[in-house]
Amino acid sequence: MRILGIDTATEAASCAVIDDGKVLGEIVFNYKKQHSVILMEMIDSILKNLKLDISDIDGFAVSEGPGSFTGLRIGAAAVKGLSQGTGKPLVGISTLDSLAFNMAFTSGIVCPIMDALRGNVYTALYEFEGESLVRKSDYLAISIDELIELLDEKSSPVCFIGDAVPLYRVKLTSSVRDARFAPLHLNVAKAASLAELGRIRMEDKGANDLHAFAPFYLRKPQAEREYEKKQKELPNERL
Amino acid sequence: MNFITNTVEETIEIGRRIGKSLKPGDIVCIDGDLGSGKTHLTKGIALGLGIDEHITSPTFNIVNEYEGRLKFYHFDVYRVNDPDEIAAIGFDEYIFSDAVSVIEWSDYISELIPDEHIQIRITKESETRRSISIQWFGKRYDYMKEVLQ
Repeated sequence: MRILGIDTATEAASCAVIDDGKVLGEIVFNYKKQHSVILMEMIDSILKNLKLDISDIDGFAVSEGPGSFTGLRIGAAAVKGLSQGTGKPLVGISTLDSLAFNMAFTSGIVCPIMDALRGNVYTALYEFEGESLVRKSDYLAISIDELIELLDEKSSPVCFIGDAVPLYRVKLTSSVRDARFAPLHLNVAKAASLAELGRIRMEDKGANDLHAFAPFYLRKPQAEREYEKKQKELPNERL
Repeated sequence: MNFITNTVEETIEIGRRIGKSLKPGDIVCIDGDLGSGKTHLTKGIALGLGIDEHITSPTFNIVNEYEGRLKFYHFDVYRVNDPDEIAAIGFDEYIFSDAVSVIEWSDYISELIPDEHIQIRITKESETRRSISIQWFGKRYDYMKEVLQ
């Protein structure tokens, strides 16, 4: 099965074609959010260089969120169009899953962190059990401090990966007991990783419904945001 | 800092002075009654950013995007009923970027405005006379002092 993967959930724009045995090609740009400008060119170029036509693709995998609001919409719109035009199935995969998958066989916790702005990250905790990536928490939109608190209960080493690493590396190094960081060449959302998870998902659980598919914007529950707002408005007095 | 203007042109000129010196990522909030000149001030800011396109208030589409010396996002959140609505258009990605953002009626979404920003309030003193108060919050905006002197 030949899968075209597209990841636009972070600052990186990436596309890849994989088949059952190998990654046929992958393009990654991790420079300024310019997905709407370069994504279709990237897809065109990867297909041309592989001497493939879009009709040679058997299915599509796309980042479904959480992640950059605009990025997710660009990816979803592009893939929905391709899927509808070719009549081939699509599957949505979380970029958090695919980032964690970059760190295959890491012992301990793999913790992808994506910048959610205002001191928040999109994150989830993973472990590798044998060859399988297992998610051990919900997908979360929490502040970096809440994440540190959450990790404080864990005794195993934690490997961080994602576009929020450069922002919080110093803080995480000093506040997480055994913090490790993905090497640069892995610390980017890769469409090949997303496509491989997409192929597994499609085989196990089938494709997404083309028309119902929508990006998954993870936000803090409104109740929490309102609580925070109230806290902010409290008079700043020492009691 | 307070200014009095007696004509639309004077209001635009203040905007232009501000716009000329704004830096990537700067956020300018403009509040004041209907017809007080928020959009005229914004026109001035756009001029200062080297944008000669016609600026109209994005009352219905909430945000307009322009390209000048810097990218420029012009918000009008008058019609936003709930801050959640504007959060749902990806507001954070607009304002935490390298662009300059101007937000008219920012009081309506005060919980979404970062602590560091420039706040401009316009008061109608008469049919043509306006009092314009300019405050800034956060060290990054200290340069405004020189700009406005």
